[in-house]
Amino acid sequence: MNDVATLTGHRKIVVDQVFPHTLDVVWKTLTTPALMGRWLRMEPKGFEPKVGTRFTYQTTPAGQWDGVIRCEVLEVIARERLAYAWKGGHEDNVGYGSLLDTVVTFTLSAVETGTRLRLVHSGFLLPTNESAFENMSKGWTQVVQSIDALAAEQG
Amino acid sequence: MTETVAIETIMRTLADPTRRAVFERVVRSAEISVGELTRDSGVTQGAISQHLKSLKLAGLVAERPEGRKVYYRAEPEGLAPLVDWMSHYAVFWRDRFDNLQTLLREIDP
Repeated sequence: MNDVATLTGHRKIVVDQVFPHTLDVVWKTLTTPALMGRWLRMEPKGFEPKVGTRFTYQTTPAGQWDGVIRCEVLEVIARERLAYAWKGGHEDNVGYGSLLDTVVTFTLSAVETGTRLRLVHSGFLLPTNESAFENMSKGWTQVVQSIDALAAEQG
Repeated sequence: MTETVAIETIMRTLADPTRRAVFERVVRSAEISVGELTRDSGVTQGAISQHLKSLKLAGLVAERPEGRKVYYRAEPEGLAPLVDWMSHYAVFWRDRFDNLQTLLREIDP
């Protein structure tokens, strides 16, 4: 599940789950654009499981940012590891839509009950602009719910 | 005045389930006293006071003394450092892993 690295300045999200399916099948869902689109809810444009391949995901725009996540495949070891750069945002934005320069890494390993898939999304920086959050009071009970899960893993 | 508190402090403060429950009750009320918080909590008033103190230090609650009572209210800005890309993606990936589980069942029953 999720955890937050204590490294100052940088932190990461970790999601770790065992799926009762073979390495082959799980790998396919991570590297076949049509299947990626089905579970990520956004289909990659130009993806190929080849180091150096640049591709994009279209997400929700914010301010001057067009919502495009720009990715580049950094590492491919079939049925074992897939890593890509995950960049987006705009310097004029704060919070969602601010500059984002991160890396997404999927690591697979065979376990007795299937395949263990570990996702690490790393490179998050401390927010730098506090004025971003002026409108926070609006709907912030929802925020409490989402941090609940985050914080629980810290315990 | 709002002080800037590091995410680590906020996370650490909210990592304790009892403290988190206290915080959530404060969030749900406009203002609430220690006595009200202690009632039905299954925890002593002293413990509740300690949790409130930590929440205050993390910038998550503010207090207002009135007579012999102290009332607490939530400080929305306190959670601000968490409303960023990271909390966005924490929710995103958890949700997507659920989708992945569903998809895997479909393609590999």
